[in-house]
Amino acid sequence: MTDWNAMSDAEFRKEVRGFFEAEYPEELRHLPHRPKFAEIEHWHVKLHAKGWVAPAWPAEFGGMGLNAAKLLIFYEEQQRWGVNRGRDMGIQMVGPLIIKFGTQEQKDYWLPRILSCEDIWCQGYSEPGAGSDLANLRTRADIEGDEFVINGQKIWTTMAHDATHIFMLVRTDPDAPKKQQGISFLLAPMDQPGVEVRTITTLSGETEFCEVFFDNARTPKANLVGELNKGWTMAKALLSFERIFIGSPSLAQNALGQLESFARGRGAFDDPVFRDRFAQAALDVEDHAALYGRFADQLKRGETLGADVSMLKIWVTECFQRITELMIEAAGPDGGTIGPLQVGNVNVDVLASFYKARPTTIYGGSNEIQRNILSKAVLGLPG
Amino acid sequence: MTQTDMLSSDQEDLRMLRESARTLFERAGGSGRSRKLRDADGGWDADMIRELAEAGVFGVTVPEDNGGLGMGLAAGGVIAEEVGRVIAPEPVVVTVGLSLGLLRRLCPDHAKMEQLVGGTTVLAVAWQERGPNGGPAEATCRYADGKLTGSKAWVVGAVGADGFLVVADSDAGPVLVLAEAKASGLSLEKSPQADGSAMGELSFSGTPAEQLADGAAVQDALADAVSDATALAAAELVGLSDRAFEITLDYIKTREQFDKPIGSFQVIQHRAVDLHVMREVAQAGVREALAQMDSEADPKIRARLASRAKARAVRAAKKITRDSIQLHGAVGYTDEFDIGLYLNRALVLSAWLGDDAYHRRMWFDAREEEGAAQ
Ligand SMILES: Cc1cc2nc3c(=O)[nH]c(=O)nc-3n(C[C@H](O)[C@H](O)[C@H](O)COP(=O)(O)OP(=O)(O)OC[C@H]3O[C@@H](n4cnc5c(N)ncnc54)[C@H](O)[C@@H]3O)c2cc1C
Repeated sequence: MTDWNAMSDAEFRKEVRGFFEAEYPEELRHLPHRPKFAEIEHWHVKLHAKGWVAPAWPAEFGGMGLNAAKLLIFYEEQQRWGVNRGRDMGIQMVGPLIIKFGTQEQKDYWLPRILSCEDIWCQGYSEPGAGSDLANLRTRADIEGDEFVINGQKIWTTMAHDATHIFMLVRTDPDAPKKQQGISFLLAPMDQPGVEVRTITTLSGETEFCEVFFDNARTPKANLVGELNKGWTMAKALLSFERIFIGSPSLAQNALGQLESFARGRGAFDDPVFRDRFAQAALDVEDHAALYGRFADQLKRGETLGADVSMLKIWVTECFQRITELMIEAAGPDGGTIGPLQVGNVNVDVLASFYKARPTTIYGGSNEIQRNILSKAVLGLPG
Repeated sequence: MTQTDMLSSDQEDLRMLRESARTLFERAGGSGRSRKLRDADGGWDADMIRELAEAGVFGVTVPEDNGGLGMGLAAGGVIAEEVGRVIAPEPVVVTVGLSLGLLRRLCPDHAKMEQLVGGTTVLAVAWQERGPNGGPAEATCRYADGKLTGSKAWVVGAVGADGFLVVADSDAGPVLVLAEAKASGLSLEKSPQADGSAMGELSFSGTPAEQLADGAAVQDALADAVSDATALAAAELVGLSDRAFEITLDYIKTREQFDKPIGSFQVIQHRAVDLHVMREVAQAGVREALAQMDSEADPKIRARLASRAKARAVRAAKKITRDSIQLHGAVGYTDEFDIGLYLNRALVLSAWLGDDAYHRRMWFDAREEEGAAQ
């Protein structure tokens, strides 16, 4: 078992980069859509054989055991090379939760299946009446014998139509005094009569997320993770690393690179107004990277990040959106054209980038919610 | 291991420098002192210049062999941020960036070096000229037979300076000369600035001046010194923005309307967050740019980094000071409240050495040139 953390940052980066560059299938680089598992299975098999499916998990559970500094490098390299994250909800969310709060039996059973992608997970948190106000969720799970019986509806469930299991927040005590109480974290199989999945077509015409209906669906009591009615605090505990990851500069950096080659090819730089807006966007990305570096250094020193880290997400997602909007401007009369646009010897899918940037300010805690958090937790504003 | 153990000794040095500069300015009266000086005559305080010199401020980027601290531009930026926080009128950036920036590159053994570092003299730097349409124009000021003839514009720190470092043309090419403020044939016209200071318009008619350097080195040193000053002015704006935001944040926490602090209204909260994020991005970007300038010798790349810093700092300072006025309501529009002093200083510092639009242009052009060279 290699102790990656003992390597120097530069050595480790070289190792990761080398592997991606040598092994990652060219046709999967910078995929514009979320793939179904079958599309990336050949890559997953390689990654699994290498033991690199779960960089953040401790080595004893089959992960790479990376510390925060190495983890950032891993993700930076992954994004730099345009490596698809794959169907990683199991890796990113279910696994860490089971590792932290699960029983020995749950660990033994679920973790290897997550790593091998024998089980493919989707995240069932949001509901029609519970978006930003997630604690308002109403999907119920009631104990009958040694099973939970689930009734209700989830929505915006990414790739639920290509998942075998769902991890969900459900209401197990409707009479709890506060709505954050009485919520539990449950695992459930999708392939059963009580579960119905309907795909939702996105703005870009993809089927990326779904509605999931539960009508007396069942899951064994053993699939409760952690204590009954303690799901809310557990789900919150997962967020800490996610918060810097979602604010990393790479999406905006990649888009900026695309914008530059596209704009150059199209002669958009002849226009001084465009030049100025490009410069502004490029400097926004550069200075964001400096701020990101400050938080990354904090992690490297072993400190935990405060609520302040939310500002990375606000800045970079809005910047990402402006960059993709500039691509559309540079496209001129082709700004509404679906599919890759040819400039010189590069293809740039302007609309795909534009669409990809839109929901980044909505999911992962909308930017308005992030502003609420910063204003209270960081600026100490009242009310 | 504690956090401070982990910080490199460089960062620790900068932290101590920041603390001592902050203490020095606060003990002298903070922004209240700056207001008094503005109300008096818009000048600076000679005692403060000496105190700053004793603390090593002016020599921060001057090599130790020449009597300085030899700490580099990043350290200069730390001091400039503190100047900005209390909007101190003393010509710190002019001295560190421009006058010492020129002398340490061109004539490090000249007696004026020691005097500048020691705070016993202040020199302003005159290199730009005003054209017939009022904007910057080709320089025509001449130096011949030990005498200067012509004019110079936009000289910051001119009022109160003991002398001027003037970049002029001569038969032997560009020269850097020193003219005493009291020299004959020199007249100074004051152009009043929003922050109560004055910029100088100088004209020379046969003004005696001492030649300090000549040749291409003068232009090179000037370009480098202007980059330094630009970056330091950016740092000053970062400090200014930081304090302006603190003042505003305090205000929206305490001012009540509709029986609540106005900072409890979401629209105010979100605007405050945007200003906060702007401030943090500016601080991170500008500090990084200055640190990179310290390890960069190529003057063109240094100029690009300085432009990055100034473009960011001006954008942040404009947004923060202007929104701050709005968040204060009518009191923000009075002279009595400090927030207006910050807006006014931001106006002056933004216009000096190029605003954000100008520096985005410079930055873009430099980047294109580097790209083409590769
Ligand atoms: C592409 C995509 C993939 C997703 N994948 C998943 C998934 O796999 N699983 C899952 O569970 N969920 C998923 N989501 C859902 C996502 O978590 C929610 O969209 C998000 O929580 C926002 O909820 P909402 O869409 O109901 O918007 P709402 O909460 O209704 O918000 C609408 C608008 O009101 C604003 N708003 C709401 N409350 C406040 C407030 N207090 N102050 C100020 N403004 C406010 C919001 O910022 C937003 O602009 C996904 C969403 C998207 C777009």
